[in-house]
Amino acid sequence: MKVKVISRSTDEFTRERSQDLQRVFRNFDPSLRSQEKAVEYVRALNAAKLDKIFARPFIGAMDGHRDSIKCMAKNPNYLKAIFSGSDDGDIRLWDLASRRTLCQFPGHQGAVQGLTVSTDGSILVSCGSDCTVRLWNVPDANLADSDNLSDNSAKPVAVYVWKNAFRAVDHQWDGDLFATAGAQVDIWNHNRSQPVNTFDWGADTTISVRFNPGEPNILATSANDRSITLYDLRMSSPARKVIMRTKTNSIAWNPMEPMNFTAANEDCNCYSYDARKLEEAKCVHKDHVSAVMDIDFSPTGREFVTGSYDRTVRIFQYNGGHSREIYHTKRMQRVFCVKYSCDASYVISGSDDTNLRLWKAKASEQLGVVLPRERKKHEYLEAVKNRYKHLPEVKRIVRHRHLPRPVYKAANLRRTMIEAERRKEQRRKAHSAPGSIVTEPVRKRRIIKEVE
Amino acid sequence: MAVKKRKERAFGGESGNSKKFKKYSNSKGPMKKNKNDTRKKGKGPRLPSALRTELDRLDPKIASDSDDGIDLDVGNDVYEYEEEVPQEESRKNRRFDPVENYDYELPEDFEDENVPSDDEDDDGDFGVGGNKGSRNDDVDASDGDEEEDDERHLRMLQGVTGMSTDAFGGKKKRNSVVISEAHPESEYNPTRDVLEGDSHITLQDLLDPIQGKAGYSKLRKRVQHMDRKSTSVQAPLPKVDREKLERMAVYEHSKKDITKWEHLVKRNREAPTVFFGGDVDLGFSTVGAIASEFEPRTEFEKKIASLVYDDKVMEAHKADGSKLLELNKISEEDYMKHRDHVAKMRSLLFRHEMKQKRIKKIKSKTYHRLKNKDKLKVESAEMLMDPEAAKEQARKQEFKRAEERLTLKHKNKSKWARRILERGLNAQDEGTRAALAEQLHQHALLTRKINTVKDSSSSSDSSSDDDDEGSNEDRASELLEKAKEKTLKVLEDDEELPNSGVLSLPFMVRGLKKRREEAIEEAKLALQEYEQLEGTNDAENSKPATASGRRVFGRANNEVPDSNKKTKTDNKMKMDNYYGNSDSEDDLEAKANVNIEGCKRNDVEKDVGPNYDRKEAADVSIFKNFDDNGDPGSKTTYEVAIFASDSWRKMKSENGVDKNAKKLQQVKEAIVHNKDMEEGEEDSDSEREQMVDGILSSAPKESYELPSQSELIRHAFAGDDVEEEFEKDKQEILNEENPEPDKPVLLPGWGQWTHVQQKKGLPWWMLKEHEDAKRKREESLKKRKDAQLKHVIISEKVDKKAEKLQTKSLPYPFTSKELFEQSMRMPIGSESNPETAIRSLNRPEVVKKPGVIIKPIKFVEMHHHEKSEDYKRSGQKQKKNKSKGASGKNKKQSN
Repeated sequence: MKVKVISRSTDEFTRERSQDLQRVFRNFDPSLRSQEKAVEYVRALNAAKLDKIFARPFIGAMDGHRDSIKCMAKNPNYLKAIFSGSDDGDIRLWDLASRRTLCQFPGHQGAVQGLTVSTDGSILVSCGSDCTVRLWNVPDANLADSDNLSDNSAKPVAVYVWKNAFRAVDHQWDGDLFATAGAQVDIWNHNRSQPVNTFDWGADTTISVRFNPGEPNILATSANDRSITLYDLRMSSPARKVIMRTKTNSIAWNPMEPMNFTAANEDCNCYSYDARKLEEAKCVHKDHVSAVMDIDFSPTGREFVTGSYDRTVRIFQYNGGHSREIYHTKRMQRVFCVKYSCDASYVISGSDDTNLRLWKAKASEQLGVVLPRERKKHEYLEAVKNRYKHLPEVKRIVRHRHLPRPVYKAANLRRTMIEAERRKEQRRKAHSAPGSIVTEPVRKRRIIKEVE
Repeated sequence: MAVKKRKERAFGGESGNSKKFKKYSNSKGPMKKNKNDTRKKGKGPRLPSALRTELDRLDPKIASDSDDGIDLDVGNDVYEYEEEVPQEESRKNRRFDPVENYDYELPEDFEDENVPSDDEDDDGDFGVGGNKGSRNDDVDASDGDEEEDDERHLRMLQGVTGMSTDAFGGKKKRNSVVISEAHPESEYNPTRDVLEGDSHITLQDLLDPIQGKAGYSKLRKRVQHMDRKSTSVQAPLPKVDREKLERMAVYEHSKKDITKWEHLVKRNREAPTVFFGGDVDLGFSTVGAIASEFEPRTEFEKKIASLVYDDKVMEAHKADGSKLLELNKISEEDYMKHRDHVAKMRSLLFRHEMKQKRIKKIKSKTYHRLKNKDKLKVESAEMLMDPEAAKEQARKQEFKRAEERLTLKHKNKSKWARRILERGLNAQDEGTRAALAEQLHQHALLTRKINTVKDSSSSSDSSSDDDDEGSNEDRASELLEKAKEKTLKVLEDDEELPNSGVLSLPFMVRGLKKRREEAIEEAKLALQEYEQLEGTNDAENSKPATASGRRVFGRANNEVPDSNKKTKTDNKMKMDNYYGNSDSEDDLEAKANVNIEGCKRNDVEKDVGPNYDRKEAADVSIFKNFDDNGDPGSKTTYEVAIFASDSWRKMKSENGVDKNAKKLQQVKEAIVHNKDMEEGEEDSDSEREQMVDGILSSAPKESYELPSQSELIRHAFAGDDVEEEFEKDKQEILNEENPEPDKPVLLPGWGQWTHVQQKKGLPWWMLKEHEDAKRKREESLKKRKDAQLKHVIISEKVDKKAEKLQTKSLPYPFTSKELFEQSMRMPIGSESNPETAIRSLNRPEVVKKPGVIIKPIKFVEMHHHEKSEDYKRSGQKQKKNKSKGASGKNKKQSN
């Protein structure tokens, strides 16, 4: 006779330490758990709901400026600091952790239009409508810890006066060049009072400039003549220009994909371009209901944040047609500048109401130390939610947002208008000779031409 | 020769001209006059034939040569053909140089070789040709300059008058010459034509005046050389175009440059997970590292530190430590001694081990037997000598016996033994049989000892059983004889049939008789066997007892069957009696019963043990080997026949009696079986088999005919009309999903008292509405999917609950329904996946550490072999690779 005995070795059941968890053995036979899929669906649904419940993206506002905030700059070398410049010529250094002003940089006579920090985080460059470029030494990081914040005002290291007012400035990654935009595009060296190079292509004012962080010698500008222009510093020449139907307010390069950049356009959309194929946009990011004023990429290259004239901040996927998140508060006015923090977990917005606002990049993310088991659980819920995100119920909950009434109405109106336009075109197409009217894709429609 | 060369060159020049012409016509440009040249050239062959003949007459050699030749030489001789001359001239003075630049088709050295000599020849000709050579040249040059104007003018004149160009040409030239210069012509005073013409002063012009002077030819050569080598400088493009071209170049270049990122970007995008800030050191990791950095800050900490790091304390600690060490000191000799001792012990141990190993390896049986014997001897000696040892021995024995009882190790239960039994003992060789028997014997010995040990009052029988093999042998034959006797007695014993009681009833009597007959028959059979066995026994006995194994076998072999036979017959008889009668049992039965009682009361059966066991073992063998009737029933009813030393005793085992009383399963079975047996063994067997069959497969009666399938169905569903029911169901569902419109009813109250409604009927609109509704319903019914399907209902009602769990359309990244479903097929939770798999299943797309700055991408060259590997590998592995690659890349970044 055979007797079957469950045999278990003691080694497997002996804990090394008394704190260790008891070992549990499971039978993973799928036939034993026929309802697993249903269970996971419900979990996904619950996770989506919980996400809604825990969505508290707003961390705090930073109050102190006396005029609307025009520009911001993050220190690429120090996580906690952010610089902001306002319309009254005031530049401030903020400590994000304590949300206080650490230091002020007085000197600009008119509005500060552009701010940027060198890659090593030692030099701050500001420019403004008073035709000056000012270089400042960034105060030590330890300043944040010290308590005496009474009058921390720095003196500029250098002031370069130039012929025209400036509209924007950006620093090269890992170099000592920075570019200003104004009547023309100037390339400056830290140590020279005159620009080392000047580009002038087209008559209109350049309003924004951004260096490519991956390819430090390539930069893009946008101008009032509705153009986006690419420059290559190695050949010290402009490379290509694309003219769109509306003006581009700001440009951001994808830090992880050096060939791609996204342009924040006046027509409420953002356009992602491949620098090598400018005849059509790679992706059109719609959702804002008013001009997009500023854009900044997450350091991961997977997301970007936009600030709009419609008083909202939105976060888009780098390849998503619609935003995944919208942030707004009652008191936040027109957003002029936005920044993604260097660790890709916060978003800072500067707006017309003289405040900087600090947001979480993921609205329902848990701040602080997350224990491993907790993290595992979060990951699991996220994965499950991601898996069932296409099912209608989960989708609905994940997508749902409360909007301010004006934004909601404007969005509706826009939708109606677009729909009407589409219908009209359809009809026109239907009533004209076949082939005579060609519907251009949205990615091409807003581009007038590519200038060589 | 020279002419030939010239001709070649002329052709070359011509082709060059045409080429150039094409080019420049595209880019409207500065070379318009060349166009005119070619046009004029086209006009060349249109010389008046009269003139041509004249020329031929003048210089037949040249004329025969070629058209071009004509042109050339005519220039020298005939003034009228000056128009033709400039072409040649201009070639000479390099007006066509730019042409040659564009002439890519011709190999350069082809002309380079020939040209210098050619030109020199030409010059020579001209120099020799006339004393007014220089003047001539000048004129030619000026003509060249002005040629297109002249040409245009000439053409116009020709068009107007219809005369040949020559007539006008000469006149024109003459006119230009007529305009006189104030100064003599020289390099410092060029002619007016030269100055006013749109061309510049050529080097040729400057060289001409010094012709013939010393070093002229050298200079000339150099100039020519320079001319040939030099490339003409293009007129600069307008700034706009220039910048555009530059931008294009720059863009192309940067485009190409930026494409180098493509593989990195692609890898990142395709990776299921991207890791950022993988190996950034976030601070101290170990407790030791943190502790070493500790600096006392608060007062309390400082106090503690001052105490801990106090000099005195430290010193004391040090001193104490050294003292402790001192205490630990041992002398050298002691140490050496200890070491030697340990070494000795080790070596001894080692030797002993080796010896044991060697001994263990010995396979010789004789050796082992001798060894065992020695051991036994020693033990028995010890037992005698030492009561303690005896006790120990006894305990050991006891343990062994207990073990035997537990394991039944020697009862031929082992795999080997079973296999042998299965194959049949007869099939085995003697050695094996002997081994089996030996085992049994062993078992018997071990279990028999129980009684001897337990019952100190051992009877004489036990001793007889305990004796050696030889006596056993004798006993076997004895037993056989006894058995024989017994059976004979049974045979002889004519039992009286009972005269009264239940058993005297005729059917009972018949049954008894029958049973008796059977028993007798069996007994006879047994007798036969006994005789046979005795024969064999004798034969075996004749063999010497030296081979103990064989002897043992013989005994076992003999004893086993006979005892079993005996038991069998006894079984039957006894059982029959047991169930069959109550009072009148035969003496045998009575004896047995008495024996049973006796067995119970006082342990008469001390010697039963071995027999019993033997019988048991034989039991197996019998059923395997001598299975005349493989009746399992007799197995279940377990009875023991005991060979007492003096007499046959038949007893029903305790089991039989007690179990019967307890109504154990076994006994029940036995009862059933016994009942069966009353009717005869074979019958019972067959019946039982049938019964088993009946349980397993209800075998149909043979007479029953199988009805056809349709018949069966008709019988089965005789009562219900399925089709009609289904139709009714369908109608119901249809009505439910597309409800029938209500019939219009008379409006209560309206025109009731006048009976208007009754007269007029329902208002028309109501009827119409009803009609419409009806029609609509009809239509919708027709549109249904199951409208044409008779036996199908396709519900068109949407299930709202199910709808929630389905997508209306295929979501974006998926290309097919199957893929989408595949993506959700396997659960990813920890309940249904092992811990190792969960991590990769649930990993988010972006893994980053909060508070770690992420730097932009850094360029990493991808190796070719890596690329190819990527392509080669497939699916999972590739993914893995990619993610690894991504992480690796990021590591590099953070560095």
